[in-house]
Amino acid sequence: MPSILGSLLILSCLGWLCAEAGAAEAGKLRFVAAIYLDDKGVGLRQPEGVACNDKSTVIVGDTGRGRLLRYTVDDRNVKPAGEIRAPQLSAPIRVQMNSKEEVFALDGRQRRIVRFDVKGESKGYLDPEGVPAPAGIVPRSFRIDRDDNIYLLDVFSARVLVLGPDGKYLRHVGFPTGYGFFSDLAVDSRGKIYLLDSLKATVHAAQKDAKEFSLVAKNLRAHLSFPTSIVVDSRGILYLVDEHGGGIVLLGQDGSVLGRQLAMGWTEGLLNSPSQMCLNDRGQVFIADRGNNRVQVFSLVR
Amino acid sequence: MRTRIPWVTLVIVLVSLLATPAAHGQNKFRLKPGPVGKLCFDCHPDLAEKLKGKFVHTPVRTGNCAGCHSPHTSAHGKLLSASPSALCLTCHPSVVPEKAVSSHRVVVEGSCVKCHDPHASNNKANLLKTGNDLCVSCHKAIGDTVARVTFKHVPVSNDCLSCHNPHASDKSAHLLKSPVPALCVQCHKPDSPRFTRQHVDYPVARANCVSCHDPHGSNTAGILFDTVHPPVASKRCNQCHSAATAAEPFATRRPGFELCRGCHSAMMNEAFGKNRIHWPLVDKTGCLSCHQAHASREKKLLNVPEAGLCGRCHTDTIDWQVKLAEKAAQEKATAKTRGEKGALTHEPVQTGRCSACHLPHASDSARLMRQASIVEGCGSCHDWLKHNSHPMGEKFADMRNKNLSVNCLSCHQAHGTGYRHMITFPTTTELCVQCHKQLRR
Repeated sequence: MPSILGSLLILSCLGWLCAEAGAAEAGKLRFVAAIYLDDKGVGLRQPEGVACNDKSTVIVGDTGRGRLLRYTVDDRNVKPAGEIRAPQLSAPIRVQMNSKEEVFALDGRQRRIVRFDVKGESKGYLDPEGVPAPAGIVPRSFRIDRDDNIYLLDVFSARVLVLGPDGKYLRHVGFPTGYGFFSDLAVDSRGKIYLLDSLKATVHAAQKDAKEFSLVAKNLRAHLSFPTSIVVDSRGILYLVDEHGGGIVLLGQDGSVLGRQLAMGWTEGLLNSPSQMCLNDRGQVFIADRGNNRVQVFSLVR
Repeated sequence: MRTRIPWVTLVIVLVSLLATPAAHGQNKFRLKPGPVGKLCFDCHPDLAEKLKGKFVHTPVRTGNCAGCHSPHTSAHGKLLSASPSALCLTCHPSVVPEKAVSSHRVVVEGSCVKCHDPHASNNKANLLKTGNDLCVSCHKAIGDTVARVTFKHVPVSNDCLSCHNPHASDKSAHLLKSPVPALCVQCHKPDSPRFTRQHVDYPVARANCVSCHDPHGSNTAGILFDTVHPPVASKRCNQCHSAATAAEPFATRRPGFELCRGCHSAMMNEAFGKNRIHWPLVDKTGCLSCHQAHASREKKLLNVPEAGLCGRCHTDTIDWQVKLAEKAAQEKATAKTRGEKGALTHEPVQTGRCSACHLPHASDSARLMRQASIVEGCGSCHDWLKHNSHPMGEKFADMRNKNLSVNCLSCHQAHGTGYRHMITFPTTTELCVQCHKQLRR
């Protein structure tokens, strides 16, 4: 019996060390700054969306106030760079930016994507062209890849639509069978698509030209409560935003859990109902901290 | 001197050795002579009385009490020689089929004695009661329904075993002898003119009968579930489905919520005019994520009572409530006096009344809250002005975060935290000093 206990102890120590090593490899989130106000000193209200790029431009979907806010982030300095409004946009719940710094925002009321040029002028709705039947499209989320292709998470017709930068249909991948509800998707630099199932706490993936999704990580419930957003970094590490649990769970490319970071709370560095996350190649991480009426900026320390 | 063992002795020893296992099998505890069970009855005279029952369990009848009991010691209750879940199966291994689709919980748990008397009974198969009386002693709600309903399903009134297997089923869920509709069409002939007329020519012999009919009876003619979707009640199936003569008669005329919007446009337009929608409403399953299309036991055609409905998706919330309820029960059991004051969780959450605070379809507020203001939302049930004198509302900033105002959720969590009064820290002091840092010690 003592030898069995000893072996178990050694194995658990090894497991802990491996997890720590994995977490260290994945990096840790260190608080840098928080965005509370716009350029006129008006506070954010329940921001749910955030987009960023490698030039440190940040777009915040200030959902509660029905507007987008542009910021530039230089080290610890966050500078407001204007407000974007449009009559079509009353509740921006997901925000993305393409390589030309054009802004795309999913409106929670219309459930359509509104486009803005680099100056913040509205260019109307993104209307997918040439999409095969069924005709109905309800995007729950969307992503834009490095080539400016647009990936729509169409929950109404249970598929991921891949559109060109001009909105023309390129291809689609149907949802896998037996899913719960997909809340978000991510696309890595090689075009691999990841789907996040909030209800079943699973992640599915499809290679660039795959016609179907396969399960990558199953039953993550022990590590998170209700994930609603997913991003992938340049190394293929997945970041799951646990909205109900107030934290970020990191997964390896094989779906293994690398660790959990941040915690629920009100003070800076803690999260309350985080809803979307963005990271760039400069190691800056932006989290729309909805329940705390702010966007927090972290640096990814490896 | 060389000793010679007589060969006769050797034979006797060998024979006795060979004979021992057989003897041991019959009387492994070397009980006193006479009928083996009789010895037990000396101390357990009530069992002898039981033996007068019409049906006596074979080991009891043969006096083999040691077949189930260990006379000296046992790790199991009632000196059973094995765990209840394993003991009965040693002689009755085929009770649960190898590939059972559904199993009776009491069988899986090894609680055979909830239905059978292990010694003797006046009922066949040593059952404790006869017919449906036995089943409804546990399934009280169904028993009440069957007794109360105006329109009864005759086979149910006669015998639950008309449709169900008592132990397990290798063919269907719910212990059904066959899956629906195969089970139903054994009695209800789908090609009869009356049947066809009542189902307005739709080929329902391939449909799911229990999407409309309550197999245990109901107060609605045709034993339809008590809440019937008006198009079903008026037999206007083609309002939602293709014509009965179409190649795919059960195909819906439009997908998802678009089908329901035709009639429920007012409700849908209101929901779609809100900033945040409950996403299942607009996914592929649409309204049927929560509602039945044809008929339901529940009001508003809900799939299941609200308490279970939300929890089917929001398992994290329900799991947390279960943990809190366990913790509350544990604390109550160990409390020396009256126990601690203050709830561990919110009563509407614990009782599954999610819609007390949340809107099920859409809302302009985050988390689909009914009220935009947390203070007003909580205030609809709680008179917080009597609660304390702490300043609350938009005018008062949260000292931890300048973009937050003080509201009920600054100190409490609506789904419970594991701490009394649902506060976010273990003690009131720890909670207060989060903002009032000057009071920290």
